[in-house]
Amino acid sequence: MRRRVVITGLGPVSSIGIGAESFAAALQQGSSGISPIASFDAAGFPHRMAGEVPAFEPKDILQVLDPQQWGRTSLFAAAAARLAAQDSGIDPAELARSRAGSSIGTTSGESQVIEKLTAQWVDGGLRDLDPALVRQTPASRLATAVNRELGLTGDAITLSTACSASNYALGYAYAAIATNEADYMLAGGADSVCRWAHAGFYRLGALTEHICTPFDRDRSGILTGEGGAALFLETLESAERRGARIYAEVLGYGLNCDANHMVAPDADSIAECMRRAHRKAGIDASQVDYICAHGTGTPANDAMETRAVMDVFGETPPPISSIKSMLGHTMGAASGFGAIASALGIANQFIPPTINFTTPDPQMPAIDPVPNVARPARLRVVQNNGFAFGGNNAITILGEVA
Amino acid sequence: MTTDQIPVSESPPTPLYITGWGVLSPLGDGAREFSEAVVQGRSGLVDVSGMFDEELPGDKAFALPEFQVRTYLGRKGTSFFDRSTSLALIASDHALKDTGLEVTDDNRDQVGLVLGTTTGSIKSTSDYSRETLTQQRPYLVNPVLFPNTVMNCAAGQAAIWHRLKGVNATIAGGQLAGLTALRYASRTLRWGDAEALLVGAVEEFSPHTAWATHLAADAATAGEAAVVFVVESGEPTAAARRRPDAEILAVELTTADPEQGAEAVTAAYARCIDRALRTAGVTADELWAVAPGSTGPGDPEEAALDGALGTASPTRLRVKELAGECHAAAGALQIAAVLAHHRGAPALDGRPALITSATREGAFGAAVIRGWHRDETDNGS
Repeated sequence: MRRRVVITGLGPVSSIGIGAESFAAALQQGSSGISPIASFDAAGFPHRMAGEVPAFEPKDILQVLDPQQWGRTSLFAAAAARLAAQDSGIDPAELARSRAGSSIGTTSGESQVIEKLTAQWVDGGLRDLDPALVRQTPASRLATAVNRELGLTGDAITLSTACSASNYALGYAYAAIATNEADYMLAGGADSVCRWAHAGFYRLGALTEHICTPFDRDRSGILTGEGGAALFLETLESAERRGARIYAEVLGYGLNCDANHMVAPDADSIAECMRRAHRKAGIDASQVDYICAHGTGTPANDAMETRAVMDVFGETPPPISSIKSMLGHTMGAASGFGAIASALGIANQFIPPTINFTTPDPQMPAIDPVPNVARPARLRVVQNNGFAFGGNNAITILGEVA
Repeated sequence: MTTDQIPVSESPPTPLYITGWGVLSPLGDGAREFSEAVVQGRSGLVDVSGMFDEELPGDKAFALPEFQVRTYLGRKGTSFFDRSTSLALIASDHALKDTGLEVTDDNRDQVGLVLGTTTGSIKSTSDYSRETLTQQRPYLVNPVLFPNTVMNCAAGQAAIWHRLKGVNATIAGGQLAGLTALRYASRTLRWGDAEALLVGAVEEFSPHTAWATHLAADAATAGEAAVVFVVESGEPTAAARRRPDAEILAVELTTADPEQGAEAVTAAYARCIDRALRTAGVTADELWAVAPGSTGPGDPEEAALDGALGTASPTRLRVKELAGECHAAAGALQIAAVLAHHRGAPALDGRPALITSATREGAFGAAVIRGWHRDETDNGS
């Protein structure tokens, strides 16, 4: 028998807010987390904006890990997990004694550590690499950092399926609890802004200059972003027993692969992933009240995502907004932030807006992007989209506890 | 006891089988060659001094100096593949040829990949990052090579190459990648997300990995390999009346904190081994082999094995001595080493073996599998 799984803790470490309350307020207000790049010298780049998290002070949040020993992305993951566990109200000692683990998604892992090592290579040679930094490079450290910070003794799985990785991680955590292999899981994702991704997206023609405008007629690309997103999962029974606040239930997920092109999205395959997610969650498309979009703001993504939505939902799809308009593209953390926003939307009865929206796209007349202002709404079922390089589609379905 | 701890009555989990495998390593090209090398104890250490322009920490490593992807896959569509992607593609190709599983339009959306890595192709990533520092303008990077910098590049390209439209997961596990991929795949199959999965891990050899291994891993000598297993749930295997290479009886993971001291870590690892054996329904006495990731006595993994095995004395298969430090591919090579011994040895049929791996940070895994031999008439032998 499958156990029901709910979300009882949220840990966003983001450019628009750190902690569930400030993140929720920022979503309600439609805040922007975009600022001039400070984590590397962007002077030589034509575009110099990103969604960094300058307010992130690891030592203010972490209780166990020594920030000197871990890269920025592991610290994002561990801090997000610490916040999510605190938000759940679980007794930390009880959590550490339990069957508990983590699954964390990422695109580029410890990218800033790799960039520091690359600079050492350029300045001297490979023999001059700092061994302590080399030891910080494995991306597996993200989930291990979470387990070490919280004293968890279960699985520590880092899923590096690029920009849909958090949804992969959330699906894994949900299945682990549903199948009675774990009682508590921390799931989410983390990434750090880095020079090579900024350069790569620019050269792909996918990087916009100032603001990210998903679903807008004049959208011109992404802004890179960073942060850590974590959700605390347990069984419905356990949450009710300890009187925990329940944000939402995890109803299911769908995963598939385009197997077609490394970077160009495939609308038919995305539509199939949506159907798969609905089937697994035991819902019909007509029950979805809101879609938290992948919505990168590139012309291609938003057009393909819209085509897939129209294919699955017909001529009148539910509202679909992109929080990447506020956060930029936080890569492996993106669908984790999407899941947090979806859970907050369900719990607080609102739809986060797509900010920076000015002109509807005549190619997508049926799309309601919830322009600029958050909207009150009762959300019974929410679909959270995540797509990635490699054609890795992952969609999670969250719902009100019925 | 809380209600969650009350055991729920469940039917036994769906059995999972390895029905074929492929490997590309200095020890062999394909499962058969690799098996011969492992059984004979041949070393994969070769002269690598001519492989790169950059200086290497030593003239010898466990690498494939003559390797060129076009030898295997032709020139078309392969020119921008990095080494990790190429190795993974070829190992998965070998695995598909070694199994009875046929991927057709009827099942390709139910067949996927679970591939282990450390940090993807660190050469691709670091070279790309280097361009942003050394080019006249920092953005003068090659857009065509950008997808090579993401860790799921190999899995994505393998899916495209073999037209596998199911689950496509990349697991960053380092030393634990092989066992973590196997655990992820087991849950995925039992949850009904896929009917068959190509499960494995890849690590490439480059000046970057050679130096990183030399500097950060106690002067170990780096190697490279890709290993892919075809894993299927019980029913398709039974329907095809094929004898599997192995049954996956248990894959358990744990995390310990090295800051708590070696004793605590050893105890945690030993508990994980016990759990794996109990899940598998196997006693230490029944094990014919243990394939550890550790290279010898003195570390918590080895101490945990000593504690968990007690008086039992299964053969220690130390494939790292033959294949080098292959990081993410290490665990998959350990599993392959067990299968290598089974492949030509009917006497070992049905006997269980234990595989263990640990990371420097305190992540640990233990798997129990039992294998069978191959006859000349079986698939792919």
